[in-house]
Amino acid sequence: MEKNADWKKAAQRLGMYVFIGLMVLTLIEYAVSIYLNSTVGLFITMLLKSALIVYYFMHVYRLWREDSH
Amino acid sequence: MNFIRNLLLGLWYILTSSYIKGLIGQALFTFLGFQFLNLLLPDNLSEFSLMIGAIIGVIGFLLFAGVLTDWLLWIGGKETPLKHGAREGRPEWTRYLGPDVNHKVIGIQYGYTSLFVLLVGGLFALIFRLELAQPGMQLLDYQQYNTLFSAHGIVMIVSILLGVGAMLNYLVPLMIGASDMSFPRLNAFSYWVSIPAIVLVLTGMAVGGWDTGWVGYPTLSLVGPLGTMFFLLGFYINGISSIAGSINVLVTTATLRAPGMSLFRMPIFVWAALATSLIQFTATQTIAVALTLNLLERATGLVFFNPAQGGDPLLYQHLFWFYSHPVVYVFVLPGLGIISELLPVFARKPLFGYKWIALSSLGIALVGFLVWAHHMFVAGMSDTLRIVFMISTLFVAIPTGVKFFSWVATLWEGKIELSTPMLFVLGAISVFLIGGITGPILGTVPTDLHLHDSYWVVGHFHATMFGGFIFPFFAGLYYWYPKITGHMYKEALGKLHFWLMVPGFWVMSFGQMSAGIMGMNRRYADYDPALGIETQQVLVTLAAFVIGWSVLIMIYNFIASARTEPVVSMNPWGSRSPEWQIPSPAPEFNYDVPFEVVGDPYDYGLDKPYIRFQVVAGD
Amino acid sequence: MSATTAEHAVEHAVEHAHDAHSHVPPYHVQLKSNRMGLWLFFISEIFLFGALFAARFYLWHVPGVGQTRPELSQELGLLATTVLLVSSYFVFRGETAMEHGDRSRFLNSYMMAALLGLVFFVAVVVMEWNVFGLEGSIAGIELFGHLGIDDGVYAGVFYAMTGMHALHVITGVLLLLFVWNRGRKGDYSPERHWGVEGCALYWHYVDVVWVFFYPALYLIGTPWH
Repeated sequence: MEKNADWKKAAQRLGMYVFIGLMVLTLIEYAVSIYLNSTVGLFITMLLKSALIVYYFMHVYRLWREDSH
Repeated sequence: MNFIRNLLLGLWYILTSSYIKGLIGQALFTFLGFQFLNLLLPDNLSEFSLMIGAIIGVIGFLLFAGVLTDWLLWIGGKETPLKHGAREGRPEWTRYLGPDVNHKVIGIQYGYTSLFVLLVGGLFALIFRLELAQPGMQLLDYQQYNTLFSAHGIVMIVSILLGVGAMLNYLVPLMIGASDMSFPRLNAFSYWVSIPAIVLVLTGMAVGGWDTGWVGYPTLSLVGPLGTMFFLLGFYINGISSIAGSINVLVTTATLRAPGMSLFRMPIFVWAALATSLIQFTATQTIAVALTLNLLERATGLVFFNPAQGGDPLLYQHLFWFYSHPVVYVFVLPGLGIISELLPVFARKPLFGYKWIALSSLGIALVGFLVWAHHMFVAGMSDTLRIVFMISTLFVAIPTGVKFFSWVATLWEGKIELSTPMLFVLGAISVFLIGGITGPILGTVPTDLHLHDSYWVVGHFHATMFGGFIFPFFAGLYYWYPKITGHMYKEALGKLHFWLMVPGFWVMSFGQMSAGIMGMNRRYADYDPALGIETQQVLVTLAAFVIGWSVLIMIYNFIASARTEPVVSMNPWGSRSPEWQIPSPAPEFNYDVPFEVVGDPYDYGLDKPYIRFQVVAGD
Repeated sequence: MSATTAEHAVEHAVEHAHDAHSHVPPYHVQLKSNRMGLWLFFISEIFLFGALFAARFYLWHVPGVGQTRPELSQELGLLATTVLLVSSYFVFRGETAMEHGDRSRFLNSYMMAALLGLVFFVAVVVMEWNVFGLEGSIAGIELFGHLGIDDGVYAGVFYAMTGMHALHVITGVLLLLFVWNRGRKGDYSPERHWGVEGCALYWHYVDVVWVFFYPALYLIGTPWH
């Protein structure tokens, strides 16, 4: 049970970190648009943000990892 | 007395079937939705209100037909186990009248709907063929002609999509040893949502028709009569059926294969089904966008395509053909799969180059995504794009050629048995060859500039559709008819059907192409007698009628044989495929004893088994 | 006689039930199918949103200028994006809680996510679209958009992209509420909670789409009118 609580905490902390990363990237995106007006730069932030969500929030690896709950 | 009672009871079942209930729901919800929105929105948006009303009508159909019941109960927190079999106290055939979750029932529902819609679309063609038999206007006015040829196009496409659904649904779970699809309720939904789509398209004909052809290009479709809206919407709703159905097929094949059935030990038709589904579940979304934008521009005045207001009509064509080119491979790949599936059975030889055939299906699907703009060579695209798309188009010939060589090599020195399915397979190969070799001429820019929008295109397209879908579909229907019904069809009538249809088709195809070369435009209601194509036009019309009658012979054959002909033996064709190793019609859950795959599927003439039924301990 | 028939019928029914049961794929197989089906649906939807995305670059390209965009309220765009990211975090929080058996946190998180989804919808449809034709401002920031139906392709593409996305947002909010409702009634367990997981996946997917749409609509190109 103790272990379960630890895991849970770790998982929730991970979610928070990912969320903060997404917010920081959004602000960078905004700055890139205002100061650089670079389409390429914006595409890079888009891809980074979507990769974060797809990997950490959507657990895409569960598709090929066999453990299920 | 008993007979009359049964007849009345049967009528009652039909009148209270989900088809009728759904239609009532659709009419009711469309009307209410339209009235409600009309009250809310300003007058200039009345077409928008009608559009949303029609979408609500589709939901009404599904609600009244009972397709959504299980999901609604789930939302309410109730468990809804799958129900099997007919409703209590009702005969078995009433299962076909409502949403049933069994893949075989759904496959057959797809099948008869496809044939019915095929007859409707064929009837449209016969009417305007009569008009074209002579120069001048005799039967129809221009608007009726335009509506009929447009409706012929879209109705036939819906019919073919339903036919593809029939083959995939009925065969894939049987062939891979699954008891049903992965998502049985979604499967029922995919079938039932296509019915209101057909209703919408046919409604379009009644409320003014439309004159854009099945492509619906703006800006003509932006100003056309109200029927255009219904046609675009019906087309759109049918896409939902395609997407849901193809995802189901992909997941089923991925997760529910019998033990030992590795990818390269699947029956070859399953490969074709995979390739088809891969195209269907992706490309269909882009036409959804094309149609959505078109509908929005028509109904609300938002600008996407109208160049007078800053839009670009080429955008529609790009989005449209990004779906509509790959979708012809959706039509032909299952057909080509049937050819590859049936040839070894009737030639009693292994399929030549199994892996190459399997991969060529995927190859066609892949290349199919890279060639769409060859429909737009004369639309005002840049020259660079023309060259790129010409080259990619000619690449299609490679995987298709692989299939042809494999078919010929499979036939080579085989012990060929010419029963009806095999005849249709051979007919399919001959017709698809006509379609195939007339293709590169259209794919090459210099020749296409002259042949574009001529009857040559019509000839080419009908040859690919008949060779790639209609003939193999009919071959499949004859071949699996004993499996579906447990009875044999009448062989003599089957052969008659074939010997009427194949020469009929050849005449039609060459007539169309020859008229095209001599200057006949596609989509024109009339032509100049000075073109000298009256003979061709008469021949094409006659051939069309011969084909029409021959299809009626097939349908008569199927209906008449369902009761009278003797029960077949378990495996009348001597097939190695798993679905022929169990009784016909197949039991509710297909394989009461599971099997495992121990060999290769097409080792005809070799003494190696393909599947072995597992011995169940105890029981 | 009749007793035997009844017995036989019962036996038959039992046998039949057993039959039907043995033909239902086991939970772990169905779970795998469900995941795969949902991901295939996402791939399918990539083509839907991708086509709209491509249409934006096709129609908002002005020869000689390059990519352009309509003048939109940057504050509203940033607000909507933040709200959607926060809701995505809450869905993650809720799903993780269910995985560890913490039902109350799961329920709170999902309800929170659904409410934030509604806020996003209001920000886009009521404020940016300004369907009710309102006016007003807070601290000099205008609250309602100015894009109108006669702004040509700018209005067209903007409404089409945000509209298609808003449709998915509403679907997602409904799914969250359905799952919340079932969870409230005691459905789902740490071992079996596909509904929770699938709903979370869908909601994150809606977020991913906005990750692409937000820059495409608000940030890329030079403002043009």
